Amino acid sequence: MTYLSFLFPPGDRWIFFAWFFLCLISLAVLWSVTEPIHGPYNQLDPGVAKGVFYRQIFWMVIGFVALLIVSRVPLRYLDNIAIPLFLFTVFLLVLILVVGPRIGGARRWLVIGPIHFQPSELAKVTFILVTANILGRAVDEGRGLVAALVSFLVMALPMFLVLREPDLGTSLVFLAIWVGMVFWYGFPGILLLGAGSAVLSAVIMFYSESVAREAWPWGLYVLLILAVLYFVRLSILSKVVLLAINIGFGIGIPFFWDKLQGYQQERILTFFDPSRDAFGSGYQAIQSKVAIGSGGLFGTHYLQGTQKGLAFLPERHTDFIFSVVGEELGFFGAAVLLGLFLIIILRGIDYGAAARRPFGRFVAVGVVTYFTFHVVVNVAITTGLLPVTGLPLPLISYGGSNLLVSSVLLGLLLNVSSRTFEN
Amino acid sequence: MAEREHLIRRGIFRTVVIILFMILVGNIFVMMVPRHSYYKDQALENRQVRFRVRAPRGLIMDRDGVILADNTYIADITVPKNSLGSDGPDSTLTRLINWFDLPPEATLARLREQKETGHRGALVLISNASMPQIAAIEERGRQLPGVRVEARPRRRYLFGELFAHVIGYVGEVVRADLDTTGDSTGYRIGDMIGKQGIESSLENLLRGGSGIKLEEVNASGRVVGRRPVWLQDVTPGKDVTLSVSLALQHRMAEAIGERTACGVAVDTRSGEVLAAYSHPAFDPNLMTVPISAEQWNTLSGNPEKPFFNRIVQATYPPASLYKPVTSLAGLANGVISTSSILEPCLGGWQFGNRYFRCWKRAGHGLVDHTQAIVQSCDTFYYQLGLRLELDQLAAAARSLGLGRVCTKVFADEASGNIPDTAWYDKRFGKGKWTRGVLLNNAIGQGEILVTPIQMAVLTARLATSGRTPDPVFVINPRSPAKLPDALPFRESDLAWVRRTMELVVSEGTGKAAKLDSIDVAGKTGTAQNPHGDDHAWFMCFAPVKNPEVAMVVIVENAGHGSSEAAPVARKWLEAYFAVGDSLPSLPAPVLVNGRGH
Repeated sequence: MTYLSFLFPPGDRWIFFAWFFLCLISLAVLWSVTEPIHGPYNQLDPGVAKGVFYRQIFWMVIGFVALLIVSRVPLRYLDNIAIPLFLFTVFLLVLILVVGPRIGGARRWLVIGPIHFQPSELAKVTFILVTANILGRAVDEGRGLVAALVSFLVMALPMFLVLREPDLGTSLVFLAIWVGMVFWYGFPGILLLGAGSAVLSAVIMFYSESVAREAWPWGLYVLLILAVLYFVRLSILSKVVLLAINIGFGIGIPFFWDKLQGYQQERILTFFDPSRDAFGSGYQAIQSKVAIGSGGLFGTHYLQGTQKGLAFLPERHTDFIFSVVGEELGFFGAAVLLGLFLIIILRGIDYGAAARRPFGRFVAVGVVTYFTFHVVVNVAITTGLLPVTGLPLPLISYGGSNLLVSSVLLGLLLNVSSRTFEN
Repeated sequence: MAEREHLIRRGIFRTVVIILFMILVGNIFVMMVPRHSYYKDQALENRQVRFRVRAPRGLIMDRDGVILADNTYIADITVPKNSLGSDGPDSTLTRLINWFDLPPEATLARLREQKETGHRGALVLISNASMPQIAAIEERGRQLPGVRVEARPRRRYLFGELFAHVIGYVGEVVRADLDTTGDSTGYRIGDMIGKQGIESSLENLLRGGSGIKLEEVNASGRVVGRRPVWLQDVTPGKDVTLSVSLALQHRMAEAIGERTACGVAVDTRSGEVLAAYSHPAFDPNLMTVPISAEQWNTLSGNPEKPFFNRIVQATYPPASLYKPVTSLAGLANGVISTSSILEPCLGGWQFGNRYFRCWKRAGHGLVDHTQAIVQSCDTFYYQLGLRLELDQLAAAARSLGLGRVCTKVFADEASGNIPDTAWYDKRFGKGKWTRGVLLNNAIGQGEILVTPIQMAVLTARLATSGRTPDPVFVINPRSPAKLPDALPFRESDLAWVRRTMELVVSEGTGKAAKLDSIDVAGKTGTAQNPHGDDHAWFMCFAPVKNPEVAMVVIVENAGHGSSEAAPVARKWLEAYFAVGDSLPSLPAPVLVNGRGH
């Protein structure tokens, strides 16, 4: 067997097996989704083309090779080239905003010959590396708030550029990864309180303004904040700053709202009341819930799902693939899928604590946060817990960039896992 | 870095992740296990859409089986019911309104009305859509979830104006219809309902029953299933055969021409109406789709009132057509004989302080009873009227069919007025009126009012000694018409009236209605019109010996019946008896395309 060992990546076997089984589930579901639909008069409507299935196999092979390579590259090298790599990615992100073709109203793709490539996907990898580099060095040199602020600015750059594409879902990924890594770095509680309450203030203001159309929910929230600030022991300056941040975010939200694209506003409003647009942007959310709910404990059996088959589910091979999993494989299938992701995440957290060098720890946490955010938000969207925004399910949704990036990130995690104190 | 701190963060991170996953799994579990059946039903409902299929209305045919009203199919563009929410239209509906350049507010108000009145299926955005509109929808189908093109039968009246008043027309059910028709069973806004004439009176027969089918649809609402499941079959409306004849109706319209007039002909043996035409008329095809404001103003602004069905709605004084009635009343009550000669006519009759003129100012001199009818001498009838009691005269008129609604086909049918003592007591007060009213009543003027169809019945009953049933517009072999009560007149008196009326045509005022081969009996009349020129009346029946047909013509504001109304009758009778070169011709059907005109 040893002569075949180059086919196995080093490090944690569980994580690698999870990758492998998730890829198998993806292929199984995509085969089902790409089965032709029986149309009227015995015509077959191809629906989603079978080519999707074969292309996913192709990308899976590419992803596997990338995973093998990344898992064996010495982490030190990656640490050293993190900053130039990141600057190159930022250059690409600026480039597509200038010369990128507009596809479906957005400039997200760099087109080189037959290859459609999303720099924002690459940015997820290089952003994790560069943040790990900054925070890792700060840990080596004695921690400081300065490094946290620098990493925030580094995060703001790709987030802003991706938001301009526009791609709200992906830009939030950067924010989420940053929050996870900075938490690992050690973040003063007062700042977390400030950031958390500011977000809460913004959400409640939005609710008051756009959904309830009354001012009192936000007013009540401000009174609550005042009461909390009266009782907690903090310096007067901190209290004033906290209050200012809360009021600032609250008042800022209507301006931010105006800046959102019409379809984004519509999606968020529809989230609060899906029936307001049952055939528009609420349509996907409703149909997805129906598909999952009709799955039952064991599903409608593989290849037998009717929601999928009759094409009620738009994006059923990409962002909404989890609803097909739910419909055809049932609660047990969905639970197994989530369990595989949970294995990757929980073991990844362990390596975040156990890795020998700080760079490795931050890389592990970045990868774990990436998977946590993608899986939780994607599943929450398909089950109607969050408003619809485009975010794929890693390794499962159809798409080369997503599959490649997820595999590379798992390669990084395997790489870190092979360099722990125990190994 | 302290190892302890790391362990704490690891603990927090793990806890957060596990809580998040528990929320996800818990939520999925609730959806997939306890609420599974709810979503299962939703999934089924997703695929199956109930369609209400409107039944085609029954055909309407003439007595020879020629189709007068049939159905074509038109397309409606419909949107799903929930595309119009409480806070306005959704994006698809808004897009459609912009595309088709519809007036936004009026359109939304119309859709809201459809939605509020228990409309089960989709909302009709565009009724009777044009080909470009249909093509626009079909091309963009995938971007327009739930938007459909649905075919729907539309009523077509093949001869347009010709039968406008007899057949009437259908229109869309509006909210008012739902409230008034006691059994609103099965009517929905947008359905067709008979609004006038036969369409209205035979609504329950003609409408049929709509069906309900389940069709399998895909995500954008297109039907994909091969065979629908019928929950309720469509019951087509029953066909109806009318008593009117296309050829005879056409001839009646030709004979009347552009005059404001109407004519009605009845088969004296069965009471079947052979022709009934009122002019001006309207094109009922305009009424089956929402009519444009311009067209509506043209029709409703016409001073000659095209919607007014003169055959049954208009009331006129019968004038000299009433003289046979007065004669029969006198004979029946023994106040006169068929050969009586009264005081000579010197151009009028003095009663009290008022002088009642005869139409012939020079007077008729001495006339007997027969010549009084033939020459239509008013003075003779003033004297005869004074010999009668008012109620005797009214009873004679009623026995011949006057003073009551006689067809029960038309909603606004007038009953006319045959005044008696009670009526005058009520109108003027007891003792506030004199026997002078008898002078006017005797010559069919004053407060007496009749409809043309009542006069046609009267003519037929004079011809058959009362054996003509009430007029019918529909041939129904299963329930033969009920015979009316026997007339309270002696057969010899009726025969004398018929002979006298034959003289009117052969040598009196009705010469214009004379036919070469067929004996015609008739009576002319000139109804006083306080609003303008007098109306010209003519009633007749033929053949005299063995009557088949009775007809009445009135031409408004035309002057004398002898010169204006009688020729119309002759032209029609020529067609009926197919004499000479006047074989009845058939008009070509008006071909109405899907979009109206």
